Amino acid sequence: MDPIRRTLLGQLARLSAGAALIPLAGVANAGINDQPPRREGDPTKRYGMLIDLRQCIGCQACTVSCHIENAAPLGNFRTVVSQFEVEEQGSGEVATFMLPRLCNHCENPPCVPVCPVQATYQRQDGIVVVDSDRCVGCAYCVNACPYDARFINEQTQTADKCTFCAHRLEAGLLPACVESCVGGARIIGDMRDPDSEISRLIEKHREQLMVLQPERNTLPQVFYLGMDERFTTRPQAEAGIWDVLGMDGKEVGYEFGH
Amino acid sequence: MSLVTEVVVPRYGIAWYPWAVQYFFLIALSYSTLWLAAPGLILGKQAWMTTARIALLACVSTTLVAPVALLADLHQPLRFWHFYAHPTPWSWMSLGSFLLPIYLGAVVLLAWLAWRPALKARSHQNDGWFSRVAGWLAWGEWQAPRAVLALVGAGALVASLGIMLYTGFEVAIVKGRPLWNTNWLPPMFVATGVIGGCGLILVLNRITSIRHPDTNRQMLAILVGACVVTGFIALTWFLDGVNAVSGSVAAALDSVSQSAAWRSTAIEGGIAGGLLATLAFVMRRSPARRKAMGWILGLLALHVAWMFRWVVLMNVQTVARNSAGFHDYHVAFGSYGLLGIIGIFGLWLTAVMLIDLFVPWREASSDPQAEPVATAPEATSISASFEGAPSHG
Repeated sequence: MDPIRRTLLGQLARLSAGAALIPLAGVANAGINDQPPRREGDPTKRYGMLIDLRQCIGCQACTVSCHIENAAPLGNFRTVVSQFEVEEQGSGEVATFMLPRLCNHCENPPCVPVCPVQATYQRQDGIVVVDSDRCVGCAYCVNACPYDARFINEQTQTADKCTFCAHRLEAGLLPACVESCVGGARIIGDMRDPDSEISRLIEKHREQLMVLQPERNTLPQVFYLGMDERFTTRPQAEAGIWDVLGMDGKEVGYEFGH
Repeated sequence: MSLVTEVVVPRYGIAWYPWAVQYFFLIALSYSTLWLAAPGLILGKQAWMTTARIALLACVSTTLVAPVALLADLHQPLRFWHFYAHPTPWSWMSLGSFLLPIYLGAVVLLAWLAWRPALKARSHQNDGWFSRVAGWLAWGEWQAPRAVLALVGAGALVASLGIMLYTGFEVAIVKGRPLWNTNWLPPMFVATGVIGGCGLILVLNRITSIRHPDTNRQMLAILVGACVVTGFIALTWFLDGVNAVSGSVAAALDSVSQSAAWRSTAIEGGIAGGLLATLAFVMRRSPARRKAMGWILGLLALHVAWMFRWVVLMNVQTVARNSAGFHDYHVAFGSYGLLGIIGIFGLWLTAVMLIDLFVPWREASSDPQAEPVATAPEATSISASFEGAPSHG
């Protein structure tokens, strides 16, 4: 078995064990850069997401609906679908690989302990949120997140990120990205409920699931089905899009607002 | 084998601006000049007194300005009080927010104690506003014992250790940026900080017209030592990680091999560091060369210290984490970029000039009970400061 899958299995084992041991997260008297206790949210739940890449067509409906739902500034995204063109060098065959990205709501989120004012915290249901009234905009969390899931919102001048649409979940609705996904690729749910769809899917596909950058020990809780291992870390790719230059030698096309 | 091309990917901006570089630069100059002031000021070694006076000016001015740069790097600077309303002992940055005022207070108190004898002397002169301001600053005629100055100095030195630790580990614990995530970064910040501190004192020795040969000699000797230590730390970092598949060294090698900008930066940094070490080594034994070239070497040392921080804090942020290539970063003209860099330098210059105008820092004393020969501001010239230490009770 390859190391990535082995790591993942370890994580899943830990996840299911963790479900029974909620106080595990409530480690008081934290050392420097240890995870602080979680607060707020429903302690009986642990939200997670499974993304079935086999169903994703890269339509960016999730990107757009999230952008509208959460009013992110132009050029910043709480979720986005990275798209790659993969050319098999022997046969010259070309395929497209789609990789939806969002906050992984990690079990060991590196963005949380760095926050100097506890503005960013993990709820007991696992969702990592930012209190934008408290945030001082030091951007430490933006640098600490290895997934580029955070940004400084230029309108609020505070840290901004995906919240699994916590406000919608609390109202009994699905997150905007899940609601709008045309292929039904995104599945969100309570992983502590053994009968939830996500629990059943994790159980069924345990061997195939992968997470992003497992070697960082962040224990992401967004699981990918139908994933190619080469894309779990920073892809060895050509940055094709930036080669498009205008008459004046400047990049054209894919640039927002800056 | 397959060829992968990125087709759709968002652009990620940098999160820490040049303000951060200015803070890390100034605070490093601050703690290193404090240590360079220690032999003369705190231990009372007469041979180091001139160096200590210049170092104290450098230390106080950088200590006062550094927090301004830090504050400016917050996107919500007016919310700085949240740091104190929500203490967070597990966050390095929060620990720093408590250490910094303690350190600043200790440094200012130390300088005040060292400057008081001269301030009192000036307040007795009939020099209009300068005497009056000196009287206010001296705050009474009472005398503090030397032990108090030594104690405050020791406290400042201890607090400075905290500053070294927190500024280093604040960055080094960030796993999300592999280049930062190494335990060799904190000692490297300190070593290059000492290089910068020596440089600043060499430059000030010249531009304040003190031009004391002892200071040139002492600073060059320490500069050579700091260069050697820096070289060893860099080498150890490299050897420690050169065989690792991932991590700080691997990320650095990746960046250098993939990006022309990183290659030129590595070459520039290598040349500047090598040149500095070589020149400092060659010049350290010749008083004539030290006198002629000391301040130029000082500027080069400041450049090395500043550039190290620029590369670590700014360039590393351009290394993409989830997409191919490097993020475009150009220093903006406004307050997020060039104006901020120049503005902080201007603020530092203002601080130095205000101190120079109102404080007879050239007569700083390691003994708060000393009674130095008072000098009027216009008389603070080469000859006055060459006289060395004030009378020692």
